[in-house]
Amino acid sequence: MVLEREILPYFDWLFSYQGALGALPRFFIIAAVVSLLALVVGYVISAARYGFLRGGDVVYRTVSSGIRELSETSPRRIWALARLAIKEARRRRVEVALVVFVIILAFANWFLSADNQDPAKLYISFVLTATTYLVLGIALLLSAFSLPGDFKSKTIYTVVTKPVRAVEIILGRVIGFSIVGTVLLVIMAVCSYVFVIRSLSHTHEVDEGLTHVYGTSGEIVGYTSRTTLDLYHRHDVELDTEKKGYALRNYGHYHEIDPRGDGQIVHEAEGLLRARRPQWGKLTFLDRQGVAKERGINVGSEWTYRSFIEGNTQATAIWTFDNISRALDRDGEGLPIGLIVRVFRTHKGVIGKQISGAIQLRNPETNLRSDLISFGALDNKIEEINIKPNLPDTEGVVRNLYDDFVSPTGQLEIRFQCLERGQYFGFAQPDCYLRLPDASPTLNIVKVYSSIWVQMVIVISIGVAASALLSGPVAMLFTVSFILLGFFREFFLGIAAGADYAAYGVPKVYGGGPVESLVRIVTQKNVISPLDPSFGASVVQGIDSVLQLMMLSVAQILPDFSAFSTVDFAAYGFAVPPERVAQDMTVCLGYVVGMAVIGYFLLRTREVAK
Amino acid sequence: MSEDVVIQTRALSKVYRDFWGRQKVRALKALDLEINRGEVFGLLGPNGSGKTTTIKLILGLLFPTEGEALVFGKRATDVSKNERIGYLPEESYLYRFLNAEETLDFYARLFDMSPETRQERIDALIKQVGLDTARKRQLQEYSKGMTRRIGLAQALINDPDLILLDEPTSGLDPIGTREMKDMILRLKQEGKTIVMCSHLLADVQDVCDRIAILHQGELKELGRVDSLLTVADVTQISARGLSSDCQNEIRDVISRHHGELLEMGNPTTTLEELFLSIVRDSEARPGRRAKVEDTESGTD
Repeated sequence: MVLEREILPYFDWLFSYQGALGALPRFFIIAAVVSLLALVVGYVISAARYGFLRGGDVVYRTVSSGIRELSETSPRRIWALARLAIKEARRRRVEVALVVFVIILAFANWFLSADNQDPAKLYISFVLTATTYLVLGIALLLSAFSLPGDFKSKTIYTVVTKPVRAVEIILGRVIGFSIVGTVLLVIMAVCSYVFVIRSLSHTHEVDEGLTHVYGTSGEIVGYTSRTTLDLYHRHDVELDTEKKGYALRNYGHYHEIDPRGDGQIVHEAEGLLRARRPQWGKLTFLDRQGVAKERGINVGSEWTYRSFIEGNTQATAIWTFDNISRALDRDGEGLPIGLIVRVFRTHKGVIGKQISGAIQLRNPETNLRSDLISFGALDNKIEEINIKPNLPDTEGVVRNLYDDFVSPTGQLEIRFQCLERGQYFGFAQPDCYLRLPDASPTLNIVKVYSSIWVQMVIVISIGVAASALLSGPVAMLFTVSFILLGFFREFFLGIAAGADYAAYGVPKVYGGGPVESLVRIVTQKNVISPLDPSFGASVVQGIDSVLQLMMLSVAQILPDFSAFSTVDFAAYGFAVPPERVAQDMTVCLGYVVGMAVIGYFLLRTREVAK
Repeated sequence: MSEDVVIQTRALSKVYRDFWGRQKVRALKALDLEINRGEVFGLLGPNGSGKTTTIKLILGLLFPTEGEALVFGKRATDVSKNERIGYLPEESYLYRFLNAEETLDFYARLFDMSPETRQERIDALIKQVGLDTARKRQLQEYSKGMTRRIGLAQALINDPDLILLDEPTSGLDPIGTREMKDMILRLKQEGKTIVMCSHLLADVQDVCDRIAILHQGELKELGRVDSLLTVADVTQISARGLSSDCQNEIRDVISRHHGELLEMGNPTTTLEELFLSIVRDSEARPGRRAKVEDTESGTD
C-alpha cells in the first residue's frame, strides 16, 4: 500500500512537528489572513456604496454585531433548521441515490474482473469508490441548491424575520444535510458489505487424492493435495493426520478444511477482509559502494515515492525499528514482519519467478549482525515473514533475536538486499513494517466510511457557504471547482509554488505558471526548456508571479481530497490508524467552523429581499 | 425614542442600483415616520409607491441607502428585535411540503419555545384561523385563502407586540377579507401594534387608526383616518321612520339656516354587507334559492 505522507501522532500534527507549524496554528493564521482580506474588501465595497465614513461605520457594525450574534447561537434553532433541511432533502427524493447505488451493485459483477489475483481489493475498492462519488454528488446537489431555492421561492423571508441568526441558517443546513448523508452512507455501507461478502463467498472441493507426507522415521505425518478450480483459482492443501487442515493462502485468502465422512469439507473463504496494524520504522539506504544515503537510486520513474537498490552490490535498504520486544512474538513463530517489494527488472529473467533477496538483522549499538536470510520477492505483493527467534550470526553462533540483535533501548535494524545482478528492489518507508495483531476488519471499514463522511461534510459546508451568496448553479460550479482542485491540490500547489516547490513539499511542476503554460501550448514549446528571454517573457512571468501568489493563497484553504481517502487502507487490508481518523475529524471541524463563519458574513451582508 | 414609539424612521431612503452601482429606481425618499404602540397604521399607495419597500426596510430585508429605521429602539438589521415581531408577507412564502402543524411547529422552534408552549400555541392558532380540519394536509394542497390563514398564524406564533401585514387581504374573498379585518381589530384590542400596507382603500379605511399615503416613494399625507376623511363642512344625518312631511320640514329648516341640502334619500348598503348577509343566510338555510324576476311582466 502506498502511503506518501507520514501519519504523525495527533498532537504533533495539531501543534508542531520538527519545527514545522502544526494544523492549529496554520488554521489561525489562515483565519487571520482571510479575516483581514474580508475586512479590506468589505470596506472597499461599503465605501463605494456609502462613502468613506459611513462605509467604515457599516463595516464596524457588521463585524461587531457579527461577533455578538455568533455568540448568541441557539442549538434549538439550529436543530429546527436542521430538521427542515432533512425534510427538504426527503422532498427532493434523495433516496433515489440509493436506488442508483443498488443498480450499480446489481450490475457490477458484469464488469468486475473475476480472475483478479486479489478480488477483495478489487471489490472493496470498487464499492468504496462508488460510494464516495455518489455521496459527494448528493452532498453537492443538496448543499448548493438549498439556500438559493429559498431565496427564489422567498421562503427565506419568513425565516430571517424570526430571531434567527444567519449562522444558525448555515449550520442548520450543514447539520441537516450531513444527517441525511450519514443515513445514506450507512445504508450504502450495509449494501456494500453484503455485496462484497456475497461476491467473494465461495468454497472448493479437494480435487485430487491425498498425497502422504512422511516424517523422518517413515511415519505418516500429514497429507497434501489441491482444491478444485473455482473462481479462477485453486489452493494447495495441507492436512494433518486427522485430515484436518487448510487450503493454503492464495488470491488473498485461505480455507479451513475438516474431515467429513470419507472425504473433506472445505469451508468458506477466510482472511479476505483484513486490517493489518503495522508498526513502521525509519528507512535509510546504502548505495552500491556501501555509503549511507537518505534515498536509493531512481530507475527513471517520475514518481519518486520509492527509490531502488541495485542487485548484487552493497546497496541496502535499512529499516530501524523501535520498541522491539518479545511481546511482538505472539504465536512463538518469530518476529512478524510485513514486506512489499517493487521489483524493477533490467532483463526479463523468468517471468513469474521470484527475485532472490536477503534479509539481515543488525544491533544498531553492538553492530552484531545475523547471517543472511534468503527470501524471494514478487513485484508488489505483500509478503508476511516471521523471523525466527533463534538465528545464527555471521560467525555461525546461534543467537537470540531479542537478547542479542535488539539493542537495550529496543532498537533493531532490518536490512534488505537484492541478490540478482541487473535487478532492483524498490522501497518506500511504509513498505516494511512489524505486524502487530490485526484490528477488526469491521471497525476498519467503519473508519474508512468515516473518511468518506468527512469528505461529504466538507463538501456540504462549502456548498452551503457558497450558496449564501451565489445562485444554485454558480454555487454548484464553485463547489465542484473546489472539489476538483482539492483532488489535484498537490499539482495545483506545485504550479503555485513554482521554483519554491521543495519548501511546500510538493513535486516540481514544469512549464511555469498559468499564463506561461498557455504561451507554451500556443507556441508548442516543451515544458522543460525555459522561455527565450524577451520583454514578452518578462511580462508573462510577471503576470504569473501575481497569479501564483493568488493560487498559493487559495491552496491554503483547499481541502486535500486525495489525502482524505482511506479506501486503499481497506482495499489493501491495512487498519486505518486512529491518529488518521482524529486528524480527519479535526480538519472537518475546521472546515465546518470556517465555512460557517464565512457563510454567516455572506448571508448577513446580503439583502434578502433584493 | 419614546417608549410609546414602536417604529421610527428618519430620512429613510432606498435606491435600487444595478451590479455596476448605477441608480435604477429611487423607491423611497427620505421617509420620516413614527408608529405608536397599540395603533393600527396603514401604508397606502398605488403599485410602486414604496409601501412594500418600507416594510422590508423596517424588517431588515433590505438595507437603507440613507437614513435609518428603528424598531423598539433597535436598528432594523438587529435580529433580536424579531423576537417581538410577526410578519405576513405579500404572498405567504411558506414551505409547501410541510403541513400546517409542521409549519407552525417549525416557526415556533425558531423562537426557542418549550415543547409545551409550542403545542399550546399551535393548537390555539390553528383553531383561531379555522384550519383544524386541514392541519395534517400539506400546504401545497391549500387554497389561497387557507394559505393566507396559515401565513397569518405563523405571523402570530410568538404572540408578537408588532405585526406587519403586507397586503393582508390580497386574493381573499369577501368572507376571508372580513375575517382578516376582524382579526386585525381583535389584535388591536389586545394592545398589539399593527402596520399594514395595502392598495385596497376600503379595507384600510375599515381598520386603520392612522394612515400614511405614499406616492413615487414620497410621503404625501399622514394622519388619523377619521380626521383625514372627515368633510368638515358637511353634516350627515341618518334617521329611520321619517314621513314625507318630516322630510319636508327638515328641508325647510336647512333652507332657513342658509344651508345647502346636498342629498336626502335612502342610503345604500355596501356590496360587501349584502354578500356577507346572503352567505350567512345560505349557511343558515341551505337549499333556499333566489327567486328570479320576470322582467317583462314584472311578476315572479
